[in-house]
Amino acid sequence: MIRIHHIAVGYHQVLLRSEDIQLNAGKVYALVGRNGIGKSTLLQSLTGALPLLEGKVSFMNDDLSSLSRIELVKRVAVVESRFEGIEYLKVKDYIALGRTPYTDAFGQLTTQDWEVIQQTASAIGIRSLMEKFTDQISDGERQLCAVARAFVQETPIILLDEPTAFLDYLNRQKLLNILIALSKNQQKCMLLSTHDLELCLKAELPLLLASSGKLSLKEHFNLEEVLFEMSKP
Amino acid sequence: MKDKSLRSLIICLLGLLPIAMYLHLMSGQIELSFSSYWKALFDFNPKDTYQVLIREFRLPRMVMALVAGAGLSLSGMLMQTLFKNPLAGPYVLGINSGASLLIALSMMTGIQFFQSNFGLIGTALIGAMGAGLLMMSVAQRLKSQISLLLVGLMFGSFTAALVSMMESKAGAESLKSFTMWSMGSLQQVTFEQLPLILTTFILSVILVFLAVKPLNVLVLGEKSAGLLGIHIQRTRLFILGITALLAGLVTAFCGPIAFVGMAIPNLTRILFRTTHHTTLICGNLLIGALFLLGMDSFIQLLEGQFSIPLNAFTSLVGAPFVVFLVMRKIK
Repeated sequence: MIRIHHIAVGYHQVLLRSEDIQLNAGKVYALVGRNGIGKSTLLQSLTGALPLLEGKVSFMNDDLSSLSRIELVKRVAVVESRFEGIEYLKVKDYIALGRTPYTDAFGQLTTQDWEVIQQTASAIGIRSLMEKFTDQISDGERQLCAVARAFVQETPIILLDEPTAFLDYLNRQKLLNILIALSKNQQKCMLLSTHDLELCLKAELPLLLASSGKLSLKEHFNLEEVLFEMSKP
Repeated sequence: MKDKSLRSLIICLLGLLPIAMYLHLMSGQIELSFSSYWKALFDFNPKDTYQVLIREFRLPRMVMALVAGAGLSLSGMLMQTLFKNPLAGPYVLGINSGASLLIALSMMTGIQFFQSNFGLIGTALIGAMGAGLLMMSVAQRLKSQISLLLVGLMFGSFTAALVSMMESKAGAESLKSFTMWSMGSLQQVTFEQLPLILTTFILSVILVFLAVKPLNVLVLGEKSAGLLGIHIQRTRLFILGITALLAGLVTAFCGPIAFVGMAIPNLTRILFRTTHHTTLICGNLLIGALFLLGMDSFIQLLEGQFSIPLNAFTSLVGAPFVVFLVMRKIK
């Protein structure tokens, strides 16, 4: 699904290098590493917002750099760490914005678009929120809405930048479980950056570990091992 | 609120518009019959003083109140969405100042081309666009919504200083015409200028409707909009361009009019409770036009006793409203 081929990412100088990594459909990968190691930079590079310094990334055998803007947003959706809610923007209209790559020049939604939106909302369990304003629901609910928006974009790949950072423990667990279930059901490939090592361990997620300037994939791990790796300078 | 009630609200406002236009025409100091309006338009007799009065003063002023109110509100809405900041507007962000600066420059140089209609619109447009681009580049480096307001204010003071330096060098004639212009008035437009003004206005409104999709997505901010496939650079220039066109047009012919462009889009949003821009565009056009028609009718009614400059009057209402907004929700 995603092939990361010996890339180097960073703004001006190299922050993080990777080996040859292959991420598959139907799985949630956890991107872990200490603050400032380059997790967000890597995710930014994967969205095409930041050019790669070296190497190449391909999504389903298409080179990232060869994809047009609209082709790219039909392949990769992004959930940011915090959606603060917007005054007078309803949940259903917010989720509907995920259909933007598919709508006409005036952004008109078809009945088919609305079907996708309703189904996704049901799958994530936020049907009851649809008529509410996004600035009047809780942080946990808002984050689920952000995930729903990424899902209606119908991309095979979803990148999530610390989606659990502002949630309480139970909401973290809930969000993670929803992501895992949906990735299996819909055969999506998800990559989420997080500091919740214990949750990832419990859910047995494969890890993308960033430490001492290197990115590597670890399918099975125990906490001590990872902590030791991460503590290296 | 449901879509149906939004529609009926728009229809209500639409119904109020002809009434406000009629009241504005009737609120002048000299009473004029409806039939003289009819004749002035379709059977004009240049010897009839009343008909001349209508053609040269009443009608242009009414049309300008409508265009200025609607145009400023719409450009304010565009800026608030683009900057993702409810305090943005053509006046506070110095779009007017940019236009003023260039207009002052052209008026005081006394070059004939700049006094023509196209020259005036052109200079105002360039000034407005320049200020818009400047603000855009500054805004990207700012974190809080309120700092943008401060930067706009500083830009306003800076241009005001430049303008007063020019004033001290200017001749009496050009100084007078600039001072009159800078007080803001709907009275300076002639009947012959109306077609040009209306065409530019209608063209800009059509362009705004073409930008509905990117505007709806920009509500999420530029970064998220980009991740949904919106071409940010192009959209930014397009929206700033229309903003400058609308604000520049109004500023060129009416002088600076404070706060309308910031207050009305907020009022519209509070009233309609939506972020959908098709609705917001209609709302801003209608409420903006109604507001300025109402304001100017009031000024006309008082004109017998004492005359208030339009700019002063809109500030009187607008400034407290901004304070209200800041207390309500600004970070």
